[in-house]
Amino acid sequence: MKPNTQSDLLKPTNEDTVGPYFPINFSDPLLEDLSRFESGITAQPQGDPIILKGRLIDRFGELANGTLVEFWQANAKGVYRSPKHEGNSDIDPWFWGYGRLRTESGEFEFKTIMPGPCAGRAPNITITLFSDGISRIVTQIFFADQAGNASDPLLQSLSHEDRAKLSARHEGESDCGSKIYTIDIVMAGENEIPFFDDLIREGE
Amino acid sequence: MSNSGRQLEIGLTDNTSDQRTPRNRLRLIPEIVRESFAPCIPQRGLSRQNEWDLTRIAADLPRAEGVAIEVSGKLQNERGTPISNAMLEIWNANHFGRYRHIEDHSDIPLDEHFLGTGRVFTDIEGNYTFWTISPGAYLARPDIGRWRPKHIHLSVSGGGSRLITQMYFPDEPNNASDPMAILMGDDFERNVGKPYETPKIDVDSGLRFDIIVGGRNAVYFE
Ligand SMILES: [Fe+2]
Repeated sequence: MKPNTQSDLLKPTNEDTVGPYFPINFSDPLLEDLSRFESGITAQPQGDPIILKGRLIDRFGELANGTLVEFWQANAKGVYRSPKHEGNSDIDPWFWGYGRLRTESGEFEFKTIMPGPCAGRAPNITITLFSDGISRIVTQIFFADQAGNASDPLLQSLSHEDRAKLSARHEGESDCGSKIYTIDIVMAGENEIPFFDDLIREGE
Repeated sequence: MSNSGRQLEIGLTDNTSDQRTPRNRLRLIPEIVRESFAPCIPQRGLSRQNEWDLTRIAADLPRAEGVAIEVSGKLQNERGTPISNAMLEIWNANHFGRYRHIEDHSDIPLDEHFLGTGRVFTDIEGNYTFWTISPGAYLARPDIGRWRPKHIHLSVSGGGSRLITQMYFPDEPNNASDPMAILMGDDFERNVGKPYETPKIDVDSGLRFDIIVGGRNAVYFE
């Protein structure tokens, strides 16, 4: 028998800090560059390659070193590679949309493609941070020069000031012609960016 | 009824927690965009042969120093549905309390025969098993004499599940002063392994650690 009422739910294991020593030997270069599929394959994800350059900053303006950063996004046509969209002809077989890296210094550089707009949303990338001193925190970042930001429901739920904090700015092109976007992710204190609660629903 | 998200708490005597914990309450996610936050993590990554056995760097090498233990359990979501084919990334300090991580600069000895990292996958019923060396506690704050209790780090990913946690050991004197354990309060109990005997296998003892991935993270597999 599967429990089916709220009170029958099993109590979850507590999330805990990743600590300072997430093993670097668990890194996978293919998860740090979603703009290609695998080495030595004639195949490429659809869409415009971009580079997202970020800085993770603590309450004192210092870089948050040793942080594990995860990325989740829709493909160029705005479709997530989730079970809900299985069989959707707009799934790009060469693009999964999940990436991960550990930044030694607190600065990171992530290669991917510009996500497409999906169902009323502006293009965005979900970012999850795991670091020493905290458990998992999540947010979504947007692109200042893309359409749809003004009507995005998540951005609309925030103050004007907070919206700007989630906006990556276009700053030049790489040698290979990828647009470069930059963002400062301030984790705590003055200029702290909004983080979201994916465990609690409104009214619960 | 809550109209705002959780207020994250800062770990007592934990400087990094003070530096990095968001001070504002977490924001609620408008229902219409909730799904976009739940990642679906591809099955990638293979484990080396023998990677389930952290007590040796490879099958043909000697065992590391210390007490060999088995850790096993079942991975489920809150509804009790087993989560199969999820990857568990495991890391723990050696018998003396030192990591082989390049950024662990402590002067606690390394062990020539201990790597301290490994990966395993859950089977069709959500079960996993690995062996490791029971880790040493280590002094995290020499200035105030605060120890990190014995613990094993576990990162669970696969499908809609994403969890990073730690398994603690029963009856350890340092459990009570650990900043993260203090924040968990009574719930800390769920992060402590339950001892069992292992008469037929080549380890000293076992700890059962069932993992429940909570919240909306297992959304696609309910
Ligand atoms: Fe640790």
